[in-house]
Amino acid sequence: MAILLVPACILILGLLVGPLCLMFRISLNELGPTQLMVEALSADNYVRAATDPYYQQIVLTTLGVALLCTAITLVIAFPAAYWLGRVENRWKSVVLIATLFPLLVGNVVRSAGWMALLDRDGLINWGLARLGLIAHPLQLMYTPKAVVFGIIAVVLPYMIITVSSVIESIPLQLEEAAANLGASPIVVFRRVVLPLALPGVAAGCTLVFVLCMNTYATAVLLGGPRFKMMAPAVYDQFIRSNNWPMGAALAFILLLFTMAFTVLGSLGFARRYGKVPRGPSERLAPA
Amino acid sequence: MSYSRRTFLSLSCGSGAALLVGNSRSVAASAGPIVVGTWGGDYGQLLGDLVDKPLATAKGIEVVQDVANVDPRKTKLLAERGSRRGSMDVACLSDTDAYLLSQSDVLEQVGADQVSRLGSVFRQLRKKCSIPHIYSAQVILYNPTKIPVPPRSYADLWDARWRGRIGLSDILYGANTLAAALAGGGSVSNFDPAEKKLLELRSLDVKIYPSNEALAAALKSEEVWITVMWLARGFMWKKAGIPLAHVVPEEGTPTVVFEAGVPRNAKNKVEAFAYLDAMLDPRAQTGFAEKMGYAPTVRDATLPEELAREVLLNEEERTRLLLLDYAYSTGRSQRTLDFWNKQFKA
Repeated sequence: MAILLVPACILILGLLVGPLCLMFRISLNELGPTQLMVEALSADNYVRAATDPYYQQIVLTTLGVALLCTAITLVIAFPAAYWLGRVENRWKSVVLIATLFPLLVGNVVRSAGWMALLDRDGLINWGLARLGLIAHPLQLMYTPKAVVFGIIAVVLPYMIITVSSVIESIPLQLEEAAANLGASPIVVFRRVVLPLALPGVAAGCTLVFVLCMNTYATAVLLGGPRFKMMAPAVYDQFIRSNNWPMGAALAFILLLFTMAFTVLGSLGFARRYGKVPRGPSERLAPA
Repeated sequence: MSYSRRTFLSLSCGSGAALLVGNSRSVAASAGPIVVGTWGGDYGQLLGDLVDKPLATAKGIEVVQDVANVDPRKTKLLAERGSRRGSMDVACLSDTDAYLLSQSDVLEQVGADQVSRLGSVFRQLRKKCSIPHIYSAQVILYNPTKIPVPPRSYADLWDARWRGRIGLSDILYGANTLAAALAGGGSVSNFDPAEKKLLELRSLDVKIYPSNEALAAALKSEEVWITVMWLARGFMWKKAGIPLAHVVPEEGTPTVVFEAGVPRNAKNKVEAFAYLDAMLDPRAQTGFAEKMGYAPTVRDATLPEELAREVLLNEEERTRLLLLDYAYSTGRSQRTLDFWNKQFKA
C-alpha cells in the first residue's frame, strides 16, 4: 500500500523540498548589484533581518494581523458552521454554495471589489455622503483595518467549511442528553460541543493562520504602500530590489514563524484541552 | 547480433534522448513568432497597432506580447541570463533598468548594421545596448484651480500651504528621490540632500499612492493637488479630464527614456532587431506622441504644432534637461530604496 504514496512524495520532493533547499542556499549568498548575487556562505541576511527594526516591525505586523484575523474569523465562522452542521433542510445546500462561492473568485479580483467599495469615491463613502452622515470622504483604503477585513473575507469560507464538517459528525443526542441532565445551552456548548469540535477548530485555525501569514494581494491592494507584511516584503526584495539572497532569507523567516506558531498553537490546544480527540467516535467508543 | 536487456534499454534511452535533443534544436533554430516583453495598457496596445501589425504586413514577422510590469521582466531577464535560450526576443525597459541589464551583460549591443534607423536617433539619447523608444521629462503637475500661483521649482513643493495635498507615486521612488535631491541642492550625481528633504516632506503629510493610476485618481478627486510626474503622464491625464497644468522646474528636468533591447540569449535576433527598427519608424513615434504624450526619439518624426507644444519642451526649457547619471543611481539604488521604505514611508 505504501507504494501509493510514491507519486505524491515525488511531487513534493521535486516541487517543494528541492526549491526550498535551493532557496536556502541562495539565502546564504550576498547581493551583487549587477550580478544578481555573489556566491558566499554567510548568515548576514538573517542577521540583518533579525536586527533591523524595519524587518522586525514587518514580522510583528504580519503575526499580529494573522492572529487577529484568525481569532475574528473563528468567532464569526463558528455560529455559521454550527448552523450548517446541524441544519437538515433544502437551504443547507444553498448556504453551502453561497459559502463556497467566494473561493471561486481569485484574491486579486476580490480585493479589486473591496477597492471599489472602500475607495474615496467608493460605494461606502458615496452611500454615507448621500445619507448626509459625512461631509468629507472617509479614508477607508490603505489602512490596516481594510487589510484585516479583506483577509477575513478571503479566509472565512475555509474556517466555516472545516468547522462545520466536524460539527456535522457530532451526534445531536449528546447535546440533548446534556440538556436533559440540566445543562444550560452555554454549558452544553462549553462542555460538549466545543471539546468535540476542537479538531475542526484546530484544523481551521491552522489553515486560516497559514493563509493569513502568507497573504499578498490583499495586503498590497488594500494596505497601500505604507503597510507592509512579509509576503509583499519578500516580493519587494526579489523583484524590486533584485536582492534574491535577502528575499530568500525573508521567505525562510516567514516559513519558520508560520511553522513555529502552527506547532505552538497545536501544542497549546492539546495542553489546554488534553488530548484532542480525533472525532466523536473516539469519545463514544466503549471503555 | 544479440543484445542483453540492459544494453537494449540503454540504447533505447540514448536514442530517445538524441531524438529529443535533435528535435528541440530544430525547433529552437526555426524562426517562430518573436516574443516582446512589454507593459500592457496603452503602451502594449499602441505597440500592437503601430509596430506589431505593420511589421507583420511588411516583413511577415509575427509578434507575441509578453505583458508584465518592468520589475518582473527585469528579474526574468537576470534569472535567465545563464540560459542558452531566453524567453524574450525584445525587452521593453526603463532607462535605469536598461543600464543595469547592459552592465549585467544581459543585452546585445545595438549597432547601425542591425538597426538601420539608429542614425536618426538624437545623439544624446543613444545607448550601446538598447534603443531609446520614447522619452519625456520629469515635471511638476499641479491643480491650477487649487494652486492659482504656479510653483517654479521642486523646492516650492516644500511649503506648509500644501500640507496633506502633495501626492507621490510609490513606484517612482527613484524619480521622487531625485526631485528631493534637486530641491535640496543635489544633482543627478548627488542624492545625499534627498534624505533630509524627504523627511521634511513626510512631516508635511505627503500622501503616497501604490501606482501612477492611484495617484491620477487622487488628483482627479482633488484629494491631492500637486505631484512630481512625467510630462507625458500629465498630457494623458489632462486628456482624461483631470484638472492639471505643468511646470518645468528651475532646478532642472530629469529625462525619462523608455528603451528596448535584445537579450543575448534571444531566439530570433534578426527579427528582434527588425522590431527595434520598426519602433523607431516616424509614424510609430508620432503615434506614441499623439496617444501617450511621449516625445519622439528620432529627428525625422514631426509632430503637429499644437501637439508639439503640449508634449515637447520649448527651447528655453530644453536647456534645463538633465540626463541621468546611471552609474551613480544604480550604485546607490539599494540605499535609495531602503531609505524610501524604512525612513520615508515608515
